Amino acid sequence: MNALSEALASKRVLVSVGSGGVGKTTVSATLALRAAVDGRSSLVCTIDPAKRLANSLGLNALGNVEAEVPASALEPLGITARARLHAMMLDMKQTWDDLIVKNAPADKREKILANRFYQSLSSALAGSQEYVAMEKLWELRTQRDYELIVLDTPPTAHALDFLEAPNRVLDFLDNEAARWLLTPALAAGKVGLSLFNLGSSYMAKTISRFTGTETLQELAAFMLSIAPMNESFRVRARGVRELLEAEQTGFVLVTSPGRERLDEVVHFHELLEQNEMETVAVVVNRVHPMPSPSLWEEAQSLVPARRAKVEQTLREMTLLAEQDARGILELQAACEGTPLVQVPRFELDVHDIGALWRTGRFLMGEEVIPLPTPQLAAGTGTP
Amino acid sequence: MGALFDKRLWIVSGKGGVGKSTVAAALALRSARAGRRTLVCEVNTQERISGLLGHRPVGPQVTALEANLWAVDVRPQEAMREYALMVLRFETLYKTVFENKVVRYFLRFIPSLQELVLLGKILFHAQEKRPDGQPLWDTIVMDAPATGHAITFLRVPQVLMQTVPPGPMAREALKMKDLLEDPAVTAAVLVSLPEDMPVNETLELHAALRDQVRVRTHAAVLNATFPERFTEDDLEALVDHPELLQLARAHHARAAQTVLAQLKLERNLHVPVHSVPRIFTPCFDRSAIEQIMTHLEPLVTGKAAP
Repeated sequence: MNALSEALASKRVLVSVGSGGVGKTTVSATLALRAAVDGRSSLVCTIDPAKRLANSLGLNALGNVEAEVPASALEPLGITARARLHAMMLDMKQTWDDLIVKNAPADKREKILANRFYQSLSSALAGSQEYVAMEKLWELRTQRDYELIVLDTPPTAHALDFLEAPNRVLDFLDNEAARWLLTPALAAGKVGLSLFNLGSSYMAKTISRFTGTETLQELAAFMLSIAPMNESFRVRARGVRELLEAEQTGFVLVTSPGRERLDEVVHFHELLEQNEMETVAVVVNRVHPMPSPSLWEEAQSLVPARRAKVEQTLREMTLLAEQDARGILELQAACEGTPLVQVPRFELDVHDIGALWRTGRFLMGEEVIPLPTPQLAAGTGTP
Repeated sequence: MGALFDKRLWIVSGKGGVGKSTVAAALALRSARAGRRTLVCEVNTQERISGLLGHRPVGPQVTALEANLWAVDVRPQEAMREYALMVLRFETLYKTVFENKVVRYFLRFIPSLQELVLLGKILFHAQEKRPDGQPLWDTIVMDAPATGHAITFLRVPQVLMQTVPPGPMAREALKMKDLLEDPAVTAAVLVSLPEDMPVNETLELHAALRDQVRVRTHAAVLNATFPERFTEDDLEALVDHPELLQLARAHHARAAQTVLAQLKLERNLHVPVHSVPRIFTPCFDRSAIEQIMTHLEPLVTGKAAP
């Protein structure tokens, strides 16, 4: 049993995090698949997977609702899952709208949905994706009974965006300054009134030079219209926070071995630690294994032209393996105490169910790439 | 073939992990080498470009790296301050107003303000003038965020114009939009890899830039490609060496993927696709950037490499 297979058996929520392009979606789908095969009903909630990956899970025309992965999707594996596997693709805009429809007072719904601030908040704004992904997670966790939910997160520009999303919402709702400005207006039943009691002040005039007066007025109007929802937002934001800190929740940090990714993953790891969130494992994806030394000898028996091609390829692969080894050693040192799981770079892209299964064998520790040694990373592999 | 040298604002984007910063660094270096005053901008990231070029991190101030080459890491807090100062003119006014608790609270909630000031700062540099009225920068290389974030980021002026009523922010947004949409000034360079997902994402990014942002794709860069090396004969001859055969097959598969990716990009983007071979160096440093630069020669100058 490695750390990930233990987590699959015991956790209720796994969140895969990491920067864009490292294979988070593949890892998320693989984890949910393995859990279902092993007998835990699971759901993978992905963000815009590649079409072929989606197809391989039988996820074709899916929207913001869960759909069961058909048994036929697993046929090529010759395997039947012992529990049901569900998958869904997160639709950010739809999740926001659902949230409003469910929580806003009936007479305010249309007004909020039509508000220009709301529309840009829900569809176009950076940062709102991270928040809404967590909202969805909370909803799924509290209202469904999957034994395991694997959440694939949006490719964050910044680790912080994701972790801070619920905090930002709480901060917004609990802000004293806002209450001070808005409460009298609420009492008076008049939109924006209080804010523009400030209207003639030096302060308000100056902000207006920056944003325009009407912007502030519209913003105040929007905030007033969502004010009745504040309490439920607050409850949910706290719920999300607690869920992320819960013992049954684990984070899977996904990265590629490249040098340029290392700082990010180390930073992310630290943030999770500071936030008392558990990193189950660091998955290093697309590792180049070191070609076996015996291959050099074997190449000597080839005709010169062919031998030269093979040796050049061996040299190149050795360099890639050494680069990866250096990265992995650094990562291991920086994330001491957190299990590190390596997945090799496959010959072709990981898209079909067979490739997901192969990825799973490495994730679960059934196949293992040896951890690099300092000698290997120092580049003694090239004759 | 159009030269990137004909444009002033070069926007480099693509899927995460395809080598955007590497390509941005190589393009900036080439531009500086041509004697053009060049500014390379990173957007609120852990700064990488100055490091790739063998220099110390520059931080949020425009800093000279070497002859004709400056760099800046554009960060929200500093950009916000600069932007506010541009509008407000006075430092004391900024302090009184923007360091006020209530104000900060409201500004934070103004949609996209952070992106606006980041993009605004870069586009401000694009409009800076010398005393003789000529643009201060001959080239600005923007190492833009990855696909989805890039669209959100570059769409900020449009979203703002739809969201905020007429006023200073809307005026600023319109100016920014005009500059981004001006094909005489702005050109996007999309970086991709010879793999399915990055290629598909490049096509999506291209369509989104065209339809939603109205920024033109000037060219694509297919990064980390593998040349054809093993012939069918070679593969057949290796059947008695299963492990060597596997090695050769893996290389062969990557080379085939390179060809497919190149074709797919060319057919769908209708712009030149410049391929950059995978660089094999023990450390990915300035010498690697210089190698990549030579492969990008036709892209920047419009002429074939010497």
